Amino acid sequence: MTLPSETTGRFLPSVGRLENTMRAARRAFDHGDLEGALREDDVAIQLKPEYDAAWLLRGHIFRKDGNIPGAIEAFAQALKINGESQEGWLGLASALHEVGRFEEEGEAYDRLLKIHPRSIEAWIDKGAALHALGDYREAIACYDKVLGMRPEHAAAWNNKGAALLRLGDDAGAARCMDEALHLDPDFYDAMANRVLLYRKMKRHGETVFWADRALRFREAPWLWYVKGTAHLGLRESTLAMKAFERALALDPKSKEARAGLRKAKILHQTKDFYRGVYECFGTLLVGDPGCEECEIRARCREVTT
Amino acid sequence: MSLPSLAEVEHSDWPSLQRMCETLGLNPKGRSAIVRMRVADYVRHRAHPPSWRPAREHQAALLTRLGHPDLAERVWESTIQLEAPAPWVGLGHAQLAGGFLAEAAKSFARAAQMGDASGELHRAEALAAGGDYQGAATACEAYLATHARDLRALLMKSSFLARSGFEEEANKVLHTAAELHPEVALIRRTLGFALLRTGHHAAAAHALQEAVHRDPKDVDAVVGRGAALLLAGRTREAIGVLREALEIDPKRADALNNLGVAYLAMGRTKSAAVNLERAAKHRESPRILLNLGKVLEEAHEPAEAVRAYEQVLKLRPKDSEAVAGRKRVGVSAKARRTPRKRVASPRKAAPTTRRKTTPSSEATTS
Repeated sequence: MTLPSETTGRFLPSVGRLENTMRAARRAFDHGDLEGALREDDVAIQLKPEYDAAWLLRGHIFRKDGNIPGAIEAFAQALKINGESQEGWLGLASALHEVGRFEEEGEAYDRLLKIHPRSIEAWIDKGAALHALGDYREAIACYDKVLGMRPEHAAAWNNKGAALLRLGDDAGAARCMDEALHLDPDFYDAMANRVLLYRKMKRHGETVFWADRALRFREAPWLWYVKGTAHLGLRESTLAMKAFERALALDPKSKEARAGLRKAKILHQTKDFYRGVYECFGTLLVGDPGCEECEIRARCREVTT
Repeated sequence: MSLPSLAEVEHSDWPSLQRMCETLGLNPKGRSAIVRMRVADYVRHRAHPPSWRPAREHQAALLTRLGHPDLAERVWESTIQLEAPAPWVGLGHAQLAGGFLAEAAKSFARAAQMGDASGELHRAEALAAGGDYQGAATACEAYLATHARDLRALLMKSSFLARSGFEEEANKVLHTAAELHPEVALIRRTLGFALLRTGHHAAAAHALQEAVHRDPKDVDAVVGRGAALLLAGRTREAIGVLREALEIDPKRADALNNLGVAYLAMGRTKSAAVNLERAAKHRESPRILLNLGKVLEEAHEPAEAVRAYEQVLKLRPKDSEAVAGRKRVGVSAKARRTPRKRVASPRKAAPTTRRKTTPSSEATTS
């Protein structure tokens, strides 16, 4: 019996056509043409409904397009077809993270870790999910797993530092951040965490220094605000005003920044210290050769905490 | 102006740091740690980035070699593209290193399907590692369909055929390889030994002669040729060739043994015994000792022959040839030696009860 050509085509889709369609979809996705990618991906799914790669791509397209529920559904479908897909579990977990479903996200990582117990991505992301849920000790255990496998993983050191900071272990947090910044001196997140640590310790000089470094990489209103309050602590009202003004420019609704600006203006009427070329102002270290030669040493001693 | 290295910046003292700041046009004021960081930042951002960074493919290949096939497998998987066969080859190697032979064979097959013919050769290796030599030979054949002259594939095919029991076919493949690559002396040598193993002595002698012609110092080939001539019944020629071999390396035990056997065949028992004794000195092999025993038997030196057979039995306690040899010549030798032994060794003169009740084979024969 000979089947008509369209019938054979329907039941036996050409592998070549399927691969061409997938290739076109990927190309469109890589070029940012989400609509075109989705169109080609639809064709691929019609040709082979049980094609996990096509569902994965669909998940990525939806995720990039901001359609998170659609992305979750697509990744789940891909995992129904191939439950061992690392890409599928990671995609599903990150989509769940974006909608704040951290517990389910953690479960997704657990499933992935059963299949790939040495997946660095899964361990570090599971740690981040647990951190978001407030389970800092378990999060630290995840980061330790990563550091056991990859001691040079700067992000794991940083995340561990952030979790220790939350647990109140400032010395441990400082050590972890040191490691992270030693491994990657331009690591923004580690710099930002250091700012938070020094702010907590009320070490204004260091807070300003690290906030400046972090702001060179990325501006954030909260960083400007923290920098402004640290300048207030150092009695640098002009610099504090500038920082609060910048914070307000980035986030005009910030009440804290507005209040800080008011305080800075009041301080400005009585005190305003000018640090000049000393970006380390407020971090005096007795016996340090640089500090010994410093021209504003006396003033620095006054404000160093 | 040359930049200092990061290590220099990290370890330099305060005056050096200040000099660096001066040279680089940086602010030298402030706490030393801060100044150091300033210089380090400058150096890091201005130093040339390394010209080469390992891509994921490189990392995966290194991981396989460093003994982490599981990690390598995952990295290779992440590099797979629709039309690139190379990651499949890499993945196959990682799977092979991890002991997943069937998966490795599949990955190599995938690479071959994608147009990388060498995938078939890799598949052959994976199949052979799993003991499927016939499958391995077939995979080599698939590769040779497009690369008929490829020496590596020809030699691999021949080796796999021989290991799967098709020795004649293996020899034919070696013949083809030798004809296609007359410039490679090694093939003639390999062919010669293969022919020797399969009993084609005359052909083996011819192939090995060609190998020796190309490399007269190839002592293995010379010795092999001597053995081939000896087995082909051309004893005189064999003696000449084996002597040549011993001129190159006088300590070659196999050449001495073969020469001994050749002399024995010619009826020159004494020369045979001398060569075999020398061979036994260089290598205590049961075969050489058995040959020596036989020669000594023929030379009517039963005590020495028994000693040779007993030496074999020390190495291989149940060797049938040695047991038979000792039985043949043991009576007369024992008759002469026993009284001396009883006097010389008091331990033997005081046997245990168990020994008394368990007759030895020697006692039975006597």
